Amino acid sequence: MTAVQRIREVISGLFMFIGALLLLTDPEYGYLLVVYLLAFILLTMGIRKLYYYFTMARYMVDGKESLYIGVILFDFGALTGSLTDIPKFYVLFYLIGIHAFSGLVEVLRAREARLQGASSWKFKLIHGMVDLLMAIICIMFINEGSIAVLIYAIGLIYSAVLKIISAFRKTRFVYIQ
Amino acid sequence: MQEDFHYYATYAAAILAGYTHKESLDIAYSAQFVDLCSKTLLSKIKAPQKAATTQLQLEMMDARTDMVGLQDITRIWASFHFLPKDLYAEKAKRPKGYMRKYRLICGPNGELVKKTVELAKGRTLQHAGIAMHVLADTWAHSYFAGTPSLVINNTNDEFYELITIDGKETERKIKFRHNPGADDDLDKSLYTNSIYQGSEDSIMNLGHGRAGHLPDYSFAKYSYLPAWDDYNAMIKDNPSDYRKAFCQMIRALRFLRGDIEAFETDEYDYELIAPHEERIMQIITKRQLIASADWRAFGEELSGDTVDDFDINRYQDEYMAVENKDDSFLGKFINGAILHKGMVCRQIFESGNMLAGYVGEEKGTADR
Repeated sequence: MTAVQRIREVISGLFMFIGALLLLTDPEYGYLLVVYLLAFILLTMGIRKLYYYFTMARYMVDGKESLYIGVILFDFGALTGSLTDIPKFYVLFYLIGIHAFSGLVEVLRAREARLQGASSWKFKLIHGMVDLLMAIICIMFINEGSIAVLIYAIGLIYSAVLKIISAFRKTRFVYIQ
Repeated sequence: MQEDFHYYATYAAAILAGYTHKESLDIAYSAQFVDLCSKTLLSKIKAPQKAATTQLQLEMMDARTDMVGLQDITRIWASFHFLPKDLYAEKAKRPKGYMRKYRLICGPNGELVKKTVELAKGRTLQHAGIAMHVLADTWAHSYFAGTPSLVINNTNDEFYELITIDGKETERKIKFRHNPGADDDLDKSLYTNSIYQGSEDSIMNLGHGRAGHLPDYSFAKYSYLPAWDDYNAMIKDNPSDYRKAFCQMIRALRFLRGDIEAFETDEYDYELIAPHEERIMQIITKRQLIASADWRAFGEELSGDTVDDFDINRYQDEYMAVENKDDSFLGKFINGAILHKGMVCRQIFESGNMLAGYVGEEKGTADR
């Protein structure tokens, strides 16, 4: 990791940490914030995908797939942002999906790292286990809407801490300075 | 290409070009070492990491695909495994961002191959080995780019193997799976490839990952639709390409030995393989996962000497022990790798393409 990459990791980690604290101090307001954040993320992803289609993917074989995905994401984002009262149930489903997938990927990466003899496998395994644990907690409290904000905030804090730690870790793969 | 061609076939090419057994072994070892000289290995022997010529699977998984990370990946893969054919290629009505990637598509007989061979002239055998790896890969890895790119390197399932049975060429649909642990099943045309990733810069979209190991098999002849070629079917004829690669290696090595005045692209030493043509084509067209044993036997017949197994650790202790690193085997390899990488990256930078990063004029290395 270069010095610029390290600084960027620390700054983004600090922003995530501040965001999580804001969510925890006012859960009701925080819940709305999570929903709007979700809408914003989906809209941004949709716009990025559409931009990608018009500048790059339209010239490739089967590139129309990017156009369809962009339209669908944009549509979901617009719909999410326009709803005043989304059942909290759906937000929890989203969180379950995110944490379960990230956790599984991280556990698989830990397994490969161990097979290759890399010392980073323990760090990756713990990361993956925590993500899977978050997904399990979401399932356990699927009917408790207020839990969504709490879990989202804990997830943010956890990711923020990891980002900051990884920025200061000595990496094996030193990029050309 | 794999160890069979980069080590054993390169050894045979060096013998045919007139090198001694010992010199040929050094060239072949260096050619194969390009596939193994990762930052992890260099870190282990306390060597400069900017000499890395490859990335381990784990390194690639951890590599970031932001601009800095992409430049690092491109410096390695475009320089050593996917040498761009034409840095100034044109394609109508395409935006700059697209063209930056399009111009990194690998192919044989480009200006950079000539520069690669010329750079190795008058230098070490290790440098000659590096040049042979790069040259050979321009044939095997044609039509793919050494930078992560969905719009260039993606493929769909329109893949057909062209197999000759009883003198008649027939098409057989190729099936792909995503199990890196499983061997390719040649009888059923079942191959492993990388998973489709819709993100332009995903590491899954680097090089020929989406086509699996098909470009690495000398026997394979297949048709497919490259992402960048407007739905035109491409026929990749590896037996023909590998034969040309072998003959061009001999030509380049003869130039490096001083037997011929200049190295020009699209010239091949067919006459030197003529007495062995049938044998070579037998090896190239034989359907097998790796042709090391056949190439080794051929090389040993040519030289009358024994070709040692490739051992990644062979020169590491020497490098760590010696005071003047430049005199060691790996020291010479490292210097060659840095020089070559610097030359290629500078050419990419001077073409107005920032995908390999900024390269300083004086140093001539890929330092940022």
